[in-house]
Amino acid sequence: MQELLQQIVSGIATGGIFASLALALVLIYNAMGLVNFAQGEMAMLATFAAFTLINRGVSYWIAFPLTLVIAFAGGILIQRIVIRPVERAPILTLVIVTLGLATLLNGLAGFFFGYLPRSFPSPFSAQTANILGAFVSYQDLGVIAVTAVVLVAIYLLLQHTTVGLTMRAAAHHPEPSRLLGVHVSWMLALGWGLASAVGAVSGIMVAPILLLEPNMMQTVIIYAFAAAVLGGIESPLGAVVGGVIVGVTVNLAGAYLPFVGGDLQLAVALAIIVAVLVLKPNGLFGRPNVRRV
Amino acid sequence: MALLELEEVRAGYGATSVLHGVSLSVPEGQIVSLLGANGAGKTTTLRSITGGVHWTGDIRFAGRSLRRMHTEDVVRCGIAHVPEGRGILTELTVDENLKLGSYLRRDGAAVRKDYDRVFEYFPVLRERRGLSASTLSGGEQQMLALARAFLMKPRLMLLDEPSLGLAPLIVRAIFEIIRTINTEDRVAVLLVEQNARLALEMSSDAYVLEVGRVAVSGTSSELKGNDAVRRSYLGY
Repeated sequence: MQELLQQIVSGIATGGIFASLALALVLIYNAMGLVNFAQGEMAMLATFAAFTLINRGVSYWIAFPLTLVIAFAGGILIQRIVIRPVERAPILTLVIVTLGLATLLNGLAGFFFGYLPRSFPSPFSAQTANILGAFVSYQDLGVIAVTAVVLVAIYLLLQHTTVGLTMRAAAHHPEPSRLLGVHVSWMLALGWGLASAVGAVSGIMVAPILLLEPNMMQTVIIYAFAAAVLGGIESPLGAVVGGVIVGVTVNLAGAYLPFVGGDLQLAVALAIIVAVLVLKPNGLFGRPNVRRV
Repeated sequence: MALLELEEVRAGYGATSVLHGVSLSVPEGQIVSLLGANGAGKTTTLRSITGGVHWTGDIRFAGRSLRRMHTEDVVRCGIAHVPEGRGILTELTVDENLKLGSYLRRDGAAVRKDYDRVFEYFPVLRERRGLSASTLSGGEQQMLALARAFLMKPRLMLLDEPSLGLAPLIVRAIFEIIRTINTEDRVAVLLVEQNARLALEMSSDAYVLEVGRVAVSGTSSELKGNDAVRRSYLGY
């Protein structure tokens, strides 16, 4: 029982990391109907920015928000320079562009920082707290707290501010939004910035666990895909719930199913993707494509 | 000087040209109807004004040329365009749709008053505020589109077939409100309508488009008396 609780808490922590990246995917999917395959690499590069700042002696809790700002600006820049020229191209073109972007960012990181895994600091102590008889690490609790704060902030921004409203309007209905005076193209750029910043959170949170190197996010993004698909790809709330479910499931499967262990955890995520697509293609929170005319 | 002036406007989609030199004007505070058969270019005329289609010639609003302006910026000059299909944002709630009408305004107290008026005109919108706009009926969506346009506090409204697909009773109610908005707030209206009889009753001036050109124009009462117009568009 005690161990189960520990495994669940630790699963929620990993789930929060998946959820952040999944939310980034959903934000861009909503804005352009596109799965951004470069999302993981963008997060990785942002984590390298945080790494550089911290190495230069900036304290962690200053480097963290600073990195989010850098990631935000980077996301906007990528949308303006790379995505905007092909905005109206067929979706396959866009997919190839994001794949190319992923390769480019990966190469850039390798060129500037090398492929040697580096340890990344965690602000949370490695000790454990005793909660209801279970030993829960401060690391896990910290990750849960940070991702929760970020996700709630994104929710409030999207649902309860005018900027959030115009972003959602521009994403779902570009033409009618223009007629209401919404600068649609800039709203899309803002969406990329926001996605990039949320994704960066997942990179910074996962780096102490996985060690920082250019390929760090390549498994994380698969879990994030699983989370986003499970949540219904277009639902921000779904991405978060999906992230937590995937995190807990993968963790429990690794701990209790001997044949899964540590090696087949990724297969569990892929199984989730396949199962969702076969059994419930719209995911948990996605709406079926039925519309009143 | 007229509020809106179109001068020899040509426009089209790709290689297909739709407007072959349309000139018309909408005086401040007046209702002007734009009539014509399907495909005559009525919708394209409205879309040219708000920059939804590439055009040449000149379009001036309040003395300022709209040439090369983006849709967003044209709208911010004070033109509310209720497009073909109403332009409802069905992924959002009724309330959010209304908010997108008023979000650029800085006159908070007046905005609140305008909301009260909107709900007085369309009580059903107050009841449905929290619901997704996709759940509204056609008539309710048209009301929402009109309410949202009103909340933009425009000087000119472009209305594209507000009666399309609606029951006669609802059409009457909606046109009554268009008239009220026009008289009380001095909002000019350029009205595209299939229902020519209704449109001519509302408007002071009217233009009839035929294959991308103005075929007939004059005051609405003149056009009501014009035999060709009567036979083609009024059906008696």
